Amino acid sequence: MDEPSVNLFGRLYRYFAGRRRVLYGATLLLVALSLFASSRLQLQEDIVAMLPDDGSSAATDFRLLQLAPFTRKLVVSLKAPAPGDSTALVATADSLAQALREAKVGTVSTGPAALGGEFFGFLGSALPSLCGEADLKRLEAATTPEKVRERLREGYEQLLAPEGWALKGKLQTDPLAFSDLVLERLRFLNLVPNMRLVQNHFVSADGSSALITVDTTVPMTDSAASRKLMDRVDAAVKKTVPAGFSATVLSGHRYTLANADAVKRDLYLVLTLSVVAIFAIYLVFLRSMSALFVFLVPSTVLAIASGAMALWATKVFAVTLGFGGVLLGMVDEYATMIYFACRKGGKDPALITAEVSRPVLSGALATLLSFGVMLLSVLPGQRQLAVYSMTGIVAALLFSLVVLPHLVRPAPGGSLPFGGMKTLRPPRRLVLVAWCALLAICAFGATRVRFNGSLQAVNLVPSELKRAEAELNRTWGDLQGKALIFAEGKDLESALELNRRVFERLAPTLPPGELVSLAPLLPSEARQSENRERWVTFWQDGRAARLERDLAREGAAFGFTGAAFAPFLATLKTPAIPLNLDGLRAAGLGELVDALVLPGPGSVRVLTLVPDRPELIERLSRELAPLPGVRLVSESRFGAVMGGSIIGDFTRYLAITGVLVFLLVAVVFRTPSRIALVLVPVVTGVVCMLGIMGLLGLAFNIFNIAATILIIGLCVDYGIFMVSRLEDGGDETSRLAVLVSGLTTLAGLGALALARHPSMQSIGVSVLLGVGTGIPAALFVIPALHRKDQP
Amino acid sequence: MKRLLLLCALLLPALPLHAESQPSPQLLETLEKNAGSVRTISSDFVQEKHLSMFKNPMTSKGRLYFARPDQLRWELTAPVASGFVLKGDRGRRWHERTGRTENFQISQEPIMKLVSEQLFAWARSDFAWIKKEYRVTVLQESPALLRLEPRSAATASFLHHLLVGFSADGRYVKSVELHEKDGDFTRIRFQNTVVNKALPADIF
Repeated sequence: MDEPSVNLFGRLYRYFAGRRRVLYGATLLLVALSLFASSRLQLQEDIVAMLPDDGSSAATDFRLLQLAPFTRKLVVSLKAPAPGDSTALVATADSLAQALREAKVGTVSTGPAALGGEFFGFLGSALPSLCGEADLKRLEAATTPEKVRERLREGYEQLLAPEGWALKGKLQTDPLAFSDLVLERLRFLNLVPNMRLVQNHFVSADGSSALITVDTTVPMTDSAASRKLMDRVDAAVKKTVPAGFSATVLSGHRYTLANADAVKRDLYLVLTLSVVAIFAIYLVFLRSMSALFVFLVPSTVLAIASGAMALWATKVFAVTLGFGGVLLGMVDEYATMIYFACRKGGKDPALITAEVSRPVLSGALATLLSFGVMLLSVLPGQRQLAVYSMTGIVAALLFSLVVLPHLVRPAPGGSLPFGGMKTLRPPRRLVLVAWCALLAICAFGATRVRFNGSLQAVNLVPSELKRAEAELNRTWGDLQGKALIFAEGKDLESALELNRRVFERLAPTLPPGELVSLAPLLPSEARQSENRERWVTFWQDGRAARLERDLAREGAAFGFTGAAFAPFLATLKTPAIPLNLDGLRAAGLGELVDALVLPGPGSVRVLTLVPDRPELIERLSRELAPLPGVRLVSESRFGAVMGGSIIGDFTRYLAITGVLVFLLVAVVFRTPSRIALVLVPVVTGVVCMLGIMGLLGLAFNIFNIAATILIIGLCVDYGIFMVSRLEDGGDETSRLAVLVSGLTTLAGLGALALARHPSMQSIGVSVLLGVGTGIPAALFVIPALHRKDQP
Repeated sequence: MKRLLLLCALLLPALPLHAESQPSPQLLETLEKNAGSVRTISSDFVQEKHLSMFKNPMTSKGRLYFARPDQLRWELTAPVASGFVLKGDRGRRWHERTGRTENFQISQEPIMKLVSEQLFAWARSDFAWIKKEYRVTVLQESPALLRLEPRSAATASFLHHLLVGFSADGRYVKSVELHEKDGDFTRIRFQNTVVNKALPADIF
């Protein structure tokens, strides 16, 4: 490299040399203002930060998945000490439901709306609008004289029993049990597989548990609101559920909190370890009061970046501050570079600043490029992270090159810790052989690394929640493992018609227990109209008159009067009323209707549920593809799609970053040999990370990819620092800067390997392996290769 | 007290509507005391249903067995053999003509639950519960004849009132009439009633 001239930063040093108070005052004022602005930040703890907002199917699917009936609900499964005592179980469920209502957690339900007279009236009146050809054939078979006689005998005998009083009205209005045809259709509306109604409460088939559902307006992705909600729910459970009973509470909010709590616990542990380790590193390597200013760089940068964010956006994703904070906490290599150069002294500080500014600027530019490419991400949280990190990097750069040179005094005699590591030079051949061997082994290992794009791989589900899931599924069947099929139309009529077509495709291969659909009970008005016409035609041609005569004759044999079945016969002659949502609600089916009919702005969706089995989803996707307006959403498939989307995003990002960083290095260092030297730590770090993970059988997930970006940014800086100063005698300061900033990075981010949350652990492992191998490559391999280049 | 009032069975828990006319407290106490000594009951019965949908009353015959605390057998012997047994929350019903026998859980059958609640409440002489569900009027002191009107609007929508007549010694129910809102009524007369006789173990 050429002898550096006194560039902008050298001139700035000289300018502020006589105005230090102004500089310090301005810096303090900026930090104070930033802290004030930061205090006004509104955190948005929302998974929306990690969802593509490019209109892709992943984002749309995620939104649609939130519409699943039990996804929107909080579920409490109350278990009695022993099955059988349904009275105590129901009473306890009622007490708990009341406590939940008082806690204002949402709309609480212990069972369906009471199915009273309106329901049975609905059963009778619905028939004409629902009967298709096949149903009329069954009616024909049910109205033969023999069947009439059999039915009337059953009715007669039932009336003799003590419970016969309850059947009297039904016998008069439906002596031949026509309404069974409608009741059968209700089998397609069972949202809870292993459920029976006891005293109009949801009770499990084995009688041991009662189910309470809560419709809450709290988004499950909002962890702060989720915590308040779950605290109220837990308090109600604690206050109400007596000894011997147990309550299992499950909802999306629980998962959100489990992850948030794990992250907080991990951060507490990791940050404590990091602070102690970083303090020890500074104590060992920096050993001066002025080192405190280096120590203050990350926190100063955090304050400034957060303050800038507060001005830029009203709400900031928590993940931005969390992950970005950790990132910026590691951005201390610029400060350490200037610190060691100033401590070595021996030159005009302006000249020192100018010399150091070139590699520092190159490194910062490479890092800025890395984060700048993130602005192209489809993830809003990622884009925000880019802005935040870039702001912080610029702040770190300015603080290190403009303010810090005035705060660091030369060490006595220009001595550096450990003699500038001059004596730490292992034999060149040994270094190169070891490095080549390591690269070869890791290159082989890298071919064995597995990619896991599933979001589940980075999601923490504590054993307590897994047990709760298993318990709930054992007791009630799979409440949440359903895929959703949306039939969307511009209005309810078109949505219902589409929903009917969906049902007709699914019903032949899926039994009622597996298929949940409103279609059998609420066809479109057009289809209802057809059915009613068919119904009228069916009862013409003397069929109604014949049935009337048969009822009179067969009834007389049991003592029935001639008018006994007048209410029933009247229904055959009365024009039928069309079915609609209000009618279903009035009949007590409102909860089902509201779960499956989803009005939206400008459209209506009608929901069908099917089991979320991969092979079934694949088949149904093909079968439903020809129906425009139908969309199948599966949670299992969503995970894969989402993972694929994020992997695609990061892969593109990595490729662009790689190219840009290479171009930058090429422009700055020009000759192929020096370019190759600069890239030694990056190549070593990335290959070793992949290789060791492959050899250890660790899967590579989306957070490993995110960490790879960081490894590239850091290791490129190390390469730039080392190569820039090898020829101008500044390699001692570079070595120390690389070593110290590398160690602080390992102490900070590498400590995340100890975290329990999979996402944080992934980042930690990647950084530990990548930076942990990149540092020795920078410190030993670059000098070893460089010596070979020298004449 | 027992028994049978059964049929009457049916009622849903009630909301008090208005002030009740109190029966003589002594009478109810006496009835409750007398019934307290009853451990088992076996009785024949004749049931007449006067329903407007039939030309003539439907008459049937059968037998009733009860054992404290929660076992009851109700069987028809004519015109069709059928019936049910209740034991706690479990039940079993049968029908001779169809040959069908099935077990059931009372709590999962709303109608049966209502019936069994009534049957057991009367069989255990739970007058506290009965007074909560009905307004009780004494029509006759000896032998006791009570008129019961449901307090709950839901029950009152189909049941107008009950008439319950006791034996001369007040130990068991002699007759029950269940009058419906639409004018239909059911009368059950208990005959050959035997109290505290050991019952075969397999009867329930």
